Amino acid sequence: MFIDRVIFLLVKHKNILVVVITFLVMVFTFFLALILGSTDIPLRTVIQALITDEGEMARYAVIIRNIRLPRIALSFLVGSGLAIAGVVFQGVIRNPMVDPYIVGISAGAGTAVTFAIVYNLSFTFLYFNTIPLFAFVGALLTVILVYNLARVNNKIPVMTFLLAGVATAFMLDAIRSFVMVLGTQDLQRVVFWLMGSLSGSSWSDIRMILPYYFLGLIPIIFFANDLNLILMGEESAHHLGLNVEKVKKMLIAGATLVTAAVVAVSGSIGFIGLVVPHIARLLIGPDHRKLLPLAAVLGGVFLVLSDMLARSLMPPLEIPVGIITALVGGPYFIYLLRKRKSESW
Amino acid sequence: MLNIDKLKFGYNKENTIIDEINLAIKEQEFTAIIGPNGSGKSTLLKNISNLFTPDSGVVYLEGSDLLKIPNKELAQKMSVVPQETNIGFNFSVYDIVMMGRHPYQGRWGQIKDDDRKIVEEALTLTDTRNFRDRDFNSLSGGEKQRVIIARALAQDPEIILLDEPTSSLDINYQREIFDLLAYLNQERNLTILVVSHDLNLSGQYCSRLVLLHRGKIFASGEPEEVLTEDNIGQVYNTQVKVRKNYLTGRPYVVLMPGRAECVPEKLKTNLKIHLISGGGTGQQLIKEFYERNYQLSCGILNQGDSDWELARRLGYEVVDIKAFSYIEEQDLDQNKDKIAAADIVVVSDLPFGHGNVNNLKQLLDFTDKKILLLEERKIEERDYTRGEAERVWQKLIKKPEVEVFASKNNLLVAVENIAEENKVAEEDICD
Repeated sequence: MFIDRVIFLLVKHKNILVVVITFLVMVFTFFLALILGSTDIPLRTVIQALITDEGEMARYAVIIRNIRLPRIALSFLVGSGLAIAGVVFQGVIRNPMVDPYIVGISAGAGTAVTFAIVYNLSFTFLYFNTIPLFAFVGALLTVILVYNLARVNNKIPVMTFLLAGVATAFMLDAIRSFVMVLGTQDLQRVVFWLMGSLSGSSWSDIRMILPYYFLGLIPIIFFANDLNLILMGEESAHHLGLNVEKVKKMLIAGATLVTAAVVAVSGSIGFIGLVVPHIARLLIGPDHRKLLPLAAVLGGVFLVLSDMLARSLMPPLEIPVGIITALVGGPYFIYLLRKRKSESW
Repeated sequence: MLNIDKLKFGYNKENTIIDEINLAIKEQEFTAIIGPNGSGKSTLLKNISNLFTPDSGVVYLEGSDLLKIPNKELAQKMSVVPQETNIGFNFSVYDIVMMGRHPYQGRWGQIKDDDRKIVEEALTLTDTRNFRDRDFNSLSGGEKQRVIIARALAQDPEIILLDEPTSSLDINYQREIFDLLAYLNQERNLTILVVSHDLNLSGQYCSRLVLLHRGKIFASGEPEEVLTEDNIGQVYNTQVKVRKNYLTGRPYVVLMPGRAECVPEKLKTNLKIHLISGGGTGQQLIKEFYERNYQLSCGILNQGDSDWELARRLGYEVVDIKAFSYIEEQDLDQNKDKIAAADIVVVSDLPFGHGNVNNLKQLLDFTDKKILLLEERKIEERDYTRGEAERVWQKLIKKPEVEVFASKNNLLVAVENIAEENKVAEEDICD
C-alpha cells in the first residue's frame, strides 16, 4: 500500500524528483571536489577554510579559495556552457547527433586563438580580454561558413551539416598547424591551450569569460520556448507564428558565443555537448524550458567530476580532462549510433 | 475571407510555377485545390500560407495584405497542416497540441485556463483525447495527422490550410480525416482549403474544387462542373470516366485501364454490342461482357430494373424509360441509333409483355445486323403478349443473320469468335 503510494507519487512528480536528486548530486560533487586533490583535505577543514583564512587555516584557505574553488567554478561554467550549447545546436538542427565540436566551432576558435597568440594580439581592454573575443569571432565565422555550406534549398540536412563541419574543421586545423609552425616560439603556449585542460585556472579566467558567457546566454534563455516550436519542424514553427530564421540565428549566435567563451579558457573538451543533453532529455523530456537548466547543471557536475578524476587519479601527474570526457562520451556516442536505427530520440 | 490577386511565383526567373492566379475563397467554404504533380498546387498553398513570398501579386486575408500581418497575428487567424509531420524528439500529444496556443501566449509559454480549455476541446473534436499522454512518435500515421489537426484547431483559426493531409494514409484514415474536416466545416463554420491529389476524396467532400494546370486555374466550381471527363482528360492527359456516386450525388472519377499493357491479349477488342434484356436476365451477360472489355450499350430498359442498375453502375450507356411505362414509338428512335452503332445485337431470354415487346419488333427493321438470341427458356414460356412476341420471334429467326443459342456459354463463345475477327491489330493499341 504505502510503497505503491510512494511509487505513484514518484512517477507523478518525476520531474521534481529529478531536480532534487540533481541538486543533491551537485552539492555532493562540489564538496567532494574541494576535498580531493593532490593532497586530500578533510571536509571539516574545507568548511573552516571557506569561512576563515586566519591562523592555521591560512594555508588551507589559499588552496581551497584560490586554487580549488576557481577551478571548480570554471569547470562548472565550462561543462554547463558546453551542455547548453549542445542542447541548442541539437534543437536548432533538430538532431541529437550534433554538438558544438562536431560542427567545427572548436577548430574555428582554436585557429583564431592560435593567430592571436602567435601574433601577440592578446591583451585586456576594460573587462574584455581579447582571447575569448578571437575565439568567438573564429567560432562564429566557422559556424556561418558551415551553415551556408550545408544549406540545400533553404534546409540544413543533418548529414551535409556534419560533413561540412568535419571538412571545415580539417581545413582549419591545417591552417592552425601552419600558423603554429611559423610561430614556433609560442608553440608551448598554443599546445597547452589546445590540450583541453583546466589546470592552472584562476579567478581571472572566470572574470575573462563571464561577460561573453552571459551575453551568449541571453538569447538562449529568451528563445528557449521558441526552440520547442522549431523542433516541430521549421515550416510548422513558421505557421505557429514564429519568425524562424531570426530565432535560429539568435540561438546559433548565443550558443556559439557561449562555446567560444568556454573554449577560450579550456581548449578542446569533447563530448559533453553531445552526451549531457541526451541524458538530460531522457530524464526530463524535450521541453527546453526544463531541459536547458537541467542540462546546464548536469554538464557542470559532469565536468567537475571529470576534472576531479583528472587531477587525482595519478598524482602528481594531471591527466588532461578532455581525455576523461572523451573516454566516457565516445562509447556513449557509439551506443547511440547503434541504437538509433529504429527508435526516435 | 481569402483573396488571391494576380499571384505569380517561381523558384527562379525562368521557371514560373504560379502564373497570375486569381482566386477568392469565401467564408465557410470547403475548397480543394486539385491538379497533377507539378501543377503548382502545393506551391500555391505555400504562397497563401506566407511561407513563400510571391514574385508579384497579393494575397489578402480579410482584406489585409498577408505580408503585412505580423506572424503571431496571422497564426491566430490561419493554421496550416503540413503534408507529413516528423518530430525528432519525444513530445507528448498534449504538449504538441498545446503548442498551437503559442500565438496567444507570452514569451515563455505560460499556460492560462483559456489555453487549457481550447486544447481540451481540440483533443475532443479530433478524438485524440485517449492518447494525450503518449509520445507523438508512437502513434500511427492517421493518429499523428489528427494530432496535428488538433494543434491547428488549438490555434483557434478562421481558416485551415492543409497540404495533402491524407497522401500517406490508408483509405480508412483518409475517410476519417475528411470526415473530420467536413464536420469542422459544417458544425464549426471553419473555412477549409485543402490541397489534394485525390480527385475522388475532394469530389466527395468539398463544396468547391479548383483544378490547377501548369500554374493556372483550369477550372473552378462545384465538383460536377470541375470533375468532367474533358477537364480531367486534358489536364492529366489520360482517359477517365466520370460517374455519379448515387449515395452522395457527387461525381467520381474512374480510371480506365488505358493502353494494351493492362488488357489480356485475347480481350483486345473494340467490339460493340447492344444488349436487349430486362428483369435481371441480362445480369450475367453484362458482367461477362464487362470482363471481356467489350463496348456495350443497353436498351430499352425500365428505370430501376436490375439490369438497368448494373449496366449504369459499370458505366455503360443505357437507353431507358420510366419504371412501369410502356415503350412507345418515340422511345425507339434513341435505341435505334445505339443498335445501328453496334456490331452485334444480343437479346437475352427476357420475358416479353406489351410494355417491352417493341424492343423485339424493332429488330425486324435491321436487315443486315448480326443478332444473337438467347433461348435458355423457350419463347412460348415467356410470352405474355398472347402470341405477339412469339410471332415476331419466329420472323426474326428466319433471317439469315440471326442465330439462336440454347445456352449462355454457347452464345458467349460465338461473341468471342466475332470479337476475334474484329480484333484490332496489336500495334494500334500498344504503341
